[in-house]
Amino acid sequence: MVLSVNNVSVSLERSRIVDGIDCHLKAGELLMLLGPNGAGKSTLLKAISGDLPYGGSVTLSGRELGQWRPERLARQRAVMPQRVEVNFPLTVEEVVQLGRPKMAPDRSDLVVDELMNELDIGHLRHRLVPGLSGGEQQRLQLARVLAQIIDSPGDRLLLLDECTSALDPAHQQMVLDLVRRLAKAEGMAVLAVVHDLNLAAQFADRLLVMKAGRLVHEGSAREVLTPELLETVYGFTARVVELEEGYPMVVPRRRGPSGAYTAPANPSCRQAS
Amino acid sequence: MIRDAAGRLGFAPYLVVALLAAVLVALVSITSGAYPLAVADILSVIAGREASDPVASMVLLEVRMPRFLLGFLVGAVLAVSGALLQGLFRNPLADPGLIGVSAGASLAAIAVIVLGNTWLGGWLAMTGEWALPIAAFLGGSCTVLLAWRIADRSGQTSVATLLLAGIAINAVAGAATGLLTFYANDEELRSLTFWTMGSLGHAGWDDLLVGAPFMLLALLVAPWLARPLDAFLLGESVVGHLGYRTDTVKKAAILVVGLGVGAAVAVSGLIGFVGLVVPHLVRQLLGASHRVVLPLSALVGGTLLVAADSLARVVVAPAELPIGLMMALIGGPFFLALLLRTKVI
Amino acid sequence: MKSRVVALFLLATVFVSSAQAGDPPRVVTADGAITEIVYRLGLESLLVGVDTTSGYPEQTESLPKVGYLRALPFEGVLALKPDLLITSEQAAPQENLDRLARAGVQVERLPSVRTPKAALERIESVGSLLGNEARAARLAAELRSKINRIQKASSARGNEPKVLFILAAGNHSVMLAGEGTAASALLDSVDAVNAVSGIQGYKPANREAILASQPDAIVIAESTPGQFEIRSWPEVERLEAWQNGRRLVADSMMLLGFGPRLPDAMAAVNSVLPAPSDVAANDS
Repeated sequence: MVLSVNNVSVSLERSRIVDGIDCHLKAGELLMLLGPNGAGKSTLLKAISGDLPYGGSVTLSGRELGQWRPERLARQRAVMPQRVEVNFPLTVEEVVQLGRPKMAPDRSDLVVDELMNELDIGHLRHRLVPGLSGGEQQRLQLARVLAQIIDSPGDRLLLLDECTSALDPAHQQMVLDLVRRLAKAEGMAVLAVVHDLNLAAQFADRLLVMKAGRLVHEGSAREVLTPELLETVYGFTARVVELEEGYPMVVPRRRGPSGAYTAPANPSCRQAS
Repeated sequence: MIRDAAGRLGFAPYLVVALLAAVLVALVSITSGAYPLAVADILSVIAGREASDPVASMVLLEVRMPRFLLGFLVGAVLAVSGALLQGLFRNPLADPGLIGVSAGASLAAIAVIVLGNTWLGGWLAMTGEWALPIAAFLGGSCTVLLAWRIADRSGQTSVATLLLAGIAINAVAGAATGLLTFYANDEELRSLTFWTMGSLGHAGWDDLLVGAPFMLLALLVAPWLARPLDAFLLGESVVGHLGYRTDTVKKAAILVVGLGVGAAVAVSGLIGFVGLVVPHLVRQLLGASHRVVLPLSALVGGTLLVAADSLARVVVAPAELPIGLMMALIGGPFFLALLLRTKVI
Repeated sequence: MKSRVVALFLLATVFVSSAQAGDPPRVVTADGAITEIVYRLGLESLLVGVDTTSGYPEQTESLPKVGYLRALPFEGVLALKPDLLITSEQAAPQENLDRLARAGVQVERLPSVRTPKAALERIESVGSLLGNEARAARLAAELRSKINRIQKASSARGNEPKVLFILAAGNHSVMLAGEGTAASALLDSVDAVNAVSGIQGYKPANREAILASQPDAIVIAESTPGQFEIRSWPEVERLEAWQNGRRLVADSMMLLGFGPRLPDAMAAVNSVLPAPSDVAANDS
């Protein structure tokens, strides 16, 4: 098991934000964490990232996080925060290079080049970061984070907090496709917080749903994304459509003028047979 | 390839230019001054021979030489401290004044000036001629420790609290300085005014003996912080994610600044602008990576201060302008021009 | 006193002999009053530089200025190749004075002066340092007799009038003179007392303190003429002493320097002090 989270709780300002979470992550597994705003997803991710003190136990490769030496841990675990603001004139390439661990094998330039190209920022390598668009910055941060662990030996854990929120649909697909490919090819374990249910359904091996600090559901996309769960967890009405591609899609219902939810008169999506 | 694809010249040519400028300014500062020295005499002194002017060797070796070295060190330390703090606080406006170091150091120095023959008589008796520099150094270091203690949250140093603590410390130190100014007599008032304008006019080997070890230590430790400080530019949490001990880095940076600036203020009074302008300039030309910013800031800071000092002692010769004044005169407009030209931080 | 003059005389002869006989010594003075003395002795041809506090007489303007006496530059002074630097004990920094001495400049620091007696002694000291004690003695004697006359007049007055002493110097700074100042010493020399008690040194003027001081006369020292603007200080204008014309506005260097113009300063202050009958009327 790459990551084991056992009965983890986090309290901020005396209120319990994360309450007794358990989850486990194998090598090569892509786990996505869902839940409404304020459910505690990011807080849980921060606890696993070492940014917040927590109760309970978090182990990486069977070893409690606190017992890792920071520089060793950085080779096994990479974290992409929700927002990274850069106010200083660093170039794209410099920021990706910053991700490279001190003791990494000496082929950093190659790794950095490849990642920048994969994430479609190769042409920006000498541009200054503060001048980039939100989507470019997000891809840049992912490149930096991947550069940190992509060629490390041993178990690797990638933590992503809304890594596609600023991206256009094409880049969303590109980025998550890359993450999934790396998970499968390199055996990386990935835990990602996402809001887009359809992207989660498309890319995740397994979904975790949190609400009010607790884990309320866990399973495959087909098991988790049901109209009932969406109603109870998010409080909105939706149909779930099974696509030909083999994963479900959530179609929210519009509110009618009376405020009641109405089914679209003419469903734009064909029900899979 | 000299120019990289971003249109910025690489590190090496700038380093060469900076080194050349430093050497040039060294020559200028050692060969020029109010007292006219013949080139032949300068060469004789350098070669260790007897000069025709009997005071030539004294002017060169006991006055201009230590003054140049002290000025260069002070400029380098102030610039590097500015760069460290700007990185640490992720704020290009940070300078050594921000966390109260300069205020603490100057408060202590002014206390010695004003209370030297009353309440602090014991201190004077104990430290003799070095009363002022040692007090300034202790004042600077104590302020840093105090800010640090205030910002300490169970072993974690909160940068925001540190900043707020710095503002509060500055206010309190400013008020205490004002109070001392009020109680100062005419004579003390004059000497503290001159001190707050900064001066290298008294610089000698003694000052180097007091200040140089601390300043050199600060300059030698700073490069070790370059990589983690780069990580700081991406945010404090990223520092930890990248495997650096965030708190150790913060404490080291603060300590380096306290040591360096405390010593600099101790030997030269208050000299502004170097800490703000120099790292800024270097970043504009070469980018924000601290592996470049720190060494070049040291070189450029030292060069700039020595240049300003050389100018300060010739423009109104035989009198001298206070170096702090000169620095603000040069630095202010220059900084404004830079802001107007680029508009990017 | 006598032995001191003799010592100074000996020193001076040593000095004069060291400065290659016949060659007049090159002198830098760094103190306004000392510079004035040199001029009054008619020895200004020896001066090769002065400090920024030396603004009187006007001829000083043509001399190189070595900066402020509390921040004397080493090279700046040395560049004038002086044989002798005469300054007061307020001169600083000490390092530069030591260095000048080691570079062969005779550095003389005369004690601060706060009494007429010391002012005359300083004249004699400067005279001996410049090898002209005869002239200095004549000047001192002349001033001494003037001072004696003024002091006789003021003690004959038989009262101790209260004087408000205002110092207007620098940009918009108006200060009241308190205890331990040259202003207080000047008042003392003419049997007057400072109307402001309980403050040490020069402190920013407080309007209420001015009203409360109830002075018998007002002395205003300006560093440049017209610096004190009475319009900004209605409190002063409202004081009885001001309205009665018992007021003096004069140059601060003349009033506070304790130099050769001391008798003028004493006489000027004396002239605005009220006779005993006026004081009594004021008190009632």
